[in-house]
Amino acid sequence: MATTADQFQAHSEDHGHHDHDHKPAFFARWFMSTNHKDIGTMYLIFAIFAGIVGGAFSGMMRVELAEPGIQYLDTFARWFGATNPDFNSTLHTWNVLITAHGLIMVFFLVMPAIIGGFGNWFVPLMIGAPDMAFPRMNNISFWLTVAGFCSLLTSAFVPGGMGNGAGTGWTVYAPLSTYGSTGPAVDFGIFALHLAGAGSIMGAINFITTIFNMRAPGMTIHKMPLFVWSVLVTAFLLLLALPVLAAAITMLLTDRNFGTTFFDPAGGGDPILYQHLFWFFGHPEVYIMILPAFGIISQIVSTFSKKPVFGYLGMAYAMVAIGVVGFIVWAHHMYTTGLSVNTKMYFTAATMVIAVPTGVKIFSWIATMWGGSLEFKSPMVWALGFIFLFTVGGVTGVVLANGGVDDVLHDTYYVVAHFHYVLSLGAVTGLFAGFFYWFPKMSGRMHSELLSHIQFWVFFVGVNMIFFPMHFLGLQGMPRRYPDYAEAYTYWNQIATHGYEIMAVSILIWFVNIIYAFTAGKKAEDNYWGEGATTLEWTLSSPPPFHQYETLPVIESAGHH
Amino acid sequence: MAGTKNHDYHILPPDIVPLATTIGAFTFTTGMVLFMHDMPGGHFVPWIGMAVLLASMFAWFSKIVNEAHAGDHTPVVQLHQRYGMIMFIASEVMFFVGWFWAFFDFALFPSALSDAVGGQWPPASVEEVIDAFDLPLLNTLILLCSGTTVTWAHHSLIHGDRDGLKKGLWATILLGLLFTSIQAYEYSVAPFPFGVNTYGSAFYMATGFHGFHVIVGTIMLIVCLVRAYRGDFTPRQHFGFEAAAWYWHFVDVVWLFLFVAVYVWGGWGYPTH
Amino acid sequence: MNFTRNARAVTRAAKAAGLALALFAAPQLAQAAPTPAGGDVSASVEAQTGAERMKAPDKGAEPAANAGNPIVPDVPTGDAAAAGSYTPMKPTPGVGMPVEGGIGLQDQYSELGEYGHWIHNAVLMPIITVISLLVLVLLIVIIVRYNKRANPVASKTSHNTLLEVVWTLLPVLILIGIAVPSIDLLAKQFKPAPKEALTIKITGNQWYWTYGYPDNGDFEVVSNMLNIPGAPVINNGIREVGSEPWDGPSHLEVDNRMVVPVGEPIRLQVTAADVIHSFAVPSLWFKLDAVPGRINEKTLFVEKPGVYYGQCSELCGAKHGYMPIAVEALPREQYNAWVMTHAGAQIDGQEPAPAAAAAAAPASEEAAPEADMTAAPEA
Ligand code: HEA
Ligand code: HEA
Ligand code: CUA
Ligand SMILES: [Cu+2]
Repeated sequence: MATTADQFQAHSEDHGHHDHDHKPAFFARWFMSTNHKDIGTMYLIFAIFAGIVGGAFSGMMRVELAEPGIQYLDTFARWFGATNPDFNSTLHTWNVLITAHGLIMVFFLVMPAIIGGFGNWFVPLMIGAPDMAFPRMNNISFWLTVAGFCSLLTSAFVPGGMGNGAGTGWTVYAPLSTYGSTGPAVDFGIFALHLAGAGSIMGAINFITTIFNMRAPGMTIHKMPLFVWSVLVTAFLLLLALPVLAAAITMLLTDRNFGTTFFDPAGGGDPILYQHLFWFFGHPEVYIMILPAFGIISQIVSTFSKKPVFGYLGMAYAMVAIGVVGFIVWAHHMYTTGLSVNTKMYFTAATMVIAVPTGVKIFSWIATMWGGSLEFKSPMVWALGFIFLFTVGGVTGVVLANGGVDDVLHDTYYVVAHFHYVLSLGAVTGLFAGFFYWFPKMSGRMHSELLSHIQFWVFFVGVNMIFFPMHFLGLQGMPRRYPDYAEAYTYWNQIATHGYEIMAVSILIWFVNIIYAFTAGKKAEDNYWGEGATTLEWTLSSPPPFHQYETLPVIESAGHH
Repeated sequence: MAGTKNHDYHILPPDIVPLATTIGAFTFTTGMVLFMHDMPGGHFVPWIGMAVLLASMFAWFSKIVNEAHAGDHTPVVQLHQRYGMIMFIASEVMFFVGWFWAFFDFALFPSALSDAVGGQWPPASVEEVIDAFDLPLLNTLILLCSGTTVTWAHHSLIHGDRDGLKKGLWATILLGLLFTSIQAYEYSVAPFPFGVNTYGSAFYMATGFHGFHVIVGTIMLIVCLVRAYRGDFTPRQHFGFEAAAWYWHFVDVVWLFLFVAVYVWGGWGYPTH
Repeated sequence: MNFTRNARAVTRAAKAAGLALALFAAPQLAQAAPTPAGGDVSASVEAQTGAERMKAPDKGAEPAANAGNPIVPDVPTGDAAAAGSYTPMKPTPGVGMPVEGGIGLQDQYSELGEYGHWIHNAVLMPIITVISLLVLVLLIVIIVRYNKRANPVASKTSHNTLLEVVWTLLPVLILIGIAVPSIDLLAKQFKPAPKEALTIKITGNQWYWTYGYPDNGDFEVVSNMLNIPGAPVINNGIREVGSEPWDGPSHLEVDNRMVVPVGEPIRLQVTAADVIHSFAVPSLWFKLDAVPGRINEKTLFVEKPGVYYGQCSELCGAKHGYMPIAVEALPREQYNAWVMTHAGAQIDGQEPAPAAAAAAAPASEEAAPEADMTAAPEA
């Protein structure tokens, strides 16, 4: 990338003058915000909160799975408001847990954190823009996400068929989610997706407009930092995929409440239609969650190698390719639904194609570091972890992509292992990498590098212990979405649950680190990572002024390529 | 210096309207759940939500209009608005893709296992469909015509002919209202019910969402008309009008697809009402 | 979208074969009376199976009637060889089921399974392991060679066209290498069973399976999970501590298994009566969703006699975890003998010998296949 601080012409204003920043009073600042950094901060805090809730749900799931039989679900059912749960509503509680866990992690942790949080904070900073294109719409994007979360949480406490809560899985397949789940819970869940989805669509419009129109003079599209590229591609995926989900869940809603038969076979409807619509959204969705992480990793790898990213154009267009191909592979989630042989062959081939641009990214990161002068500051360690863990998750995706092989692996723990490697070990590791990379920039305080390193290693051990054995369970045939299992699966499940305990410790270390930073952390300099950090945000103070770039920076045309 | 802005972007002061809009939306969705499950409050909570939502949106758009008058809409901000509107329409297109997907699924592969459908399209339980070349054709002509009247209004505006602008808008709005009325009448006499089978489901939801968009578009045009009377819009700066016009064309195009696919192709050779 | 609708053709064929009515009537019934929230499921199970049971008075289809009885084979005691004697097979530990602490695919008992197993173990696993290790090794090399101390001055290389071409083309080649056997496996999986192959109709229900045998007099077997001693009662499956000899692994054993002949292709037609389920048997490389309103068809081939366990593999509500599948594969004669234990059973279109008929329920005359095939179950 050519955008280096030394080419940055305009003086960065406001050093040491933060008091002159006219920040609104508390209520106006946080409830009426039109400031991209404040909104980003709120997104991050919200996502951390949601992550803790979703992580707690997964903890409840892991204790239940520690051994065969039903041990704790009855208690959990009571937590969700059941007074005297019978066996069915006890079991239903399992489905509620996994549904809420999946939806929270996807829609209320990863998306808000990585797009809403980091995207809001750093896209304008990196392109030299004073704010987002639509600051007021930016605010409603955030609040709608919160409203969606409230709707989802409400759903857990109202009847959803066998017991309280929506027990449909995060995929909300019909007809289990239509005539298979009476009661308001699923409707609350559907509206949660409507609200959060509307927020995300508006966010996507905002990002695309900002990135296309608000780049600082001289910052051509081919000079944008890769994180900006990644958010741009992600925003397009959101813009084109989410409305299809909106249509699909609206059909669920009318099937449930107004007598339509989109997915009801009695009226000629087709449950498989729902799956097509869902996955037409759902597959792009997984790239929505990972592409911004790719962007973050690119920034970090380049910073701590003190080298520009290797093959910048290839990196950018690999993401475009992933985004485009991501729209034509959706039915690999439906191999066992009775697709025809030609269809399965097509989707097998198309899906595997995505390994190529993804490989370009992995190898380009490696090549970026090759010949570099590496400093293993905490973000770099998380980034290295990301590259390895994501690769492991990616290659099991390639196994699943084979329609004939997926026949035995579909809906087993192998799939659960795959997607947690790319999500919980991929996207979340990317989140932590970004967090430690930018936390001092956002807060003005340095975190403890030591604690972050320790957290990384504890987390690394913990999550691998949780999720690696799941490959074994899946190969052995353990189906997903089961609260109880055959005795033969006990061993690896126990290991996984122990892994959770270790992972939980790492999250505690993280909290300690945050508290440390705010209470005793050193004041962060403008560019605390030093010479490798060359994008525009490093020219600003830490934290940046309330309104940055009141005079736009100018990027000189001299570049590295 | 802090507080002196040396660029053309629009930096907004804090604003409560987005939160208010969200509260309206959340109240509305929650109220809808109450309504759909006959729970207490189901008969007024959605209305409250809707009222808050509409009031907030009114406040929001009023602010935009006022900001336009205050000169906040510099060329680059207008460019933002163009991009924003184009992408909003793109997302709407994808929304309709979902409904068309359902329609074509049902029409091309009618279920043989359902008595209601019996492996044919239109389904066996649908005895008659609406004659495409009756009211729907009329509606098609109305919408096409309204597309030209809105262009007439636009050209008048560009040439500083405010009278023509108003006339064009009036014509477009009346045509839009006519379309909606005919559509409502058509629903009331349609020979098949809402829901019950895939035909009713796909037909009413797809055309219904289109109708909803027509109403929204009509409201946008009415706002433009009011603004035209107030003296808003200049030949060089009138994005509010253009956005409404784009939206109107979008709604028009969706209708053409609906007409060709759902009414003409989907009911070809079938007994009509 | 026609690619998703292959089942339509199947559907028509099935209707011609007189199978369809019972299959699609069920979901309609289910929708006419949606399961009440928190309703008594065993009651609704009874209600749904009532009609079927009258039609096919299979002893096993009346779980309630069995209540309290010790589990006994569905055969008259005494000399019943001609009538078909059948004792459920004792499963072999480790065959057709997961093994304690196992880390690989289950052993396979079909040709297709062996092929798939080979693709996974000999093609995919090595490739993905090597790729993951390659990335890991490269990272380690970088960490060792290019840390700040070892390499104080960073190079500025940011392009190498040759390298970029290589790491684009190499994965392409690898993927082609994977795709060739993979596509071949797919093609083989879709080889339809021959016309005369035995057809079994599988229906997923909340939360048990029913197996229909249209070629054998159209009797139906209702299959519930056997209860786990000490755990809450699940459906109606009865399990006594040590109810040997066919007492299989917990969570996997059922009261009435799906019995199939070995060594011949079998046509499985899978559907569901309420929500989506999935019929899955890992050791036979078989998984096919049971979708209400459509009939999915696939060929099953079992090479060796044995019991092969599977589990419902699509989230279907509260007891999704408690509707296992047990496929018992028997040589033809024993299979026939098992068939003969059912009322109205037929083999190769033949009524059983008089003795056998007597041993079976007297309803066999009414249950003549032609009548059965055309009559709607409600009728
Ligand atoms: C961040 C999220 C994320 C990402 C990035 C991916 C990436 C991929 N996924 Fe994954 N996937 C999920 C999230 C994700 N997935 C989720 C959530 C589900 C389950 C949903 C549900 O059912 O609930 C799922 C399920 C899922 C299935 C369905 C399984 C089933 O239900 O039966 C399949 C099948 O094809 C699949 C494939 C792939 C492939 C091929 C990739 C590829 O993009 C991976 C590409 C990456 C690499 C291959 C590694 C790096 C490359 C190299 C080092 C180059 C060399 C490599 C080769 C030559 C192989 N995924
Ligand atoms: C991003 C997505 C995500 C993440 C992070 C996780 C994290 C975890 N998941 Fe989850 N999971 C899903 C997505 C995710 N999962 C989905 C989609 C399903 C399928 C649901 C379905 O079947 O419908 C699923 C299902 C699922 C199952 C299978 C249930 C079943 O099939 O019966 C299990 C079982 O153990 C499980 C466990 C865990 C555990 C132990 C973690 C742990 O790693 C959790 C620990 C917590 C964290 C690692 C998060 C901490 C982060 C923060 C607190 C915020 C950080 C923020 C910043 C840095 C800004 N998950
Ligand atoms: Cu039946 Cu899951
Ligand atoms: Cu996918």
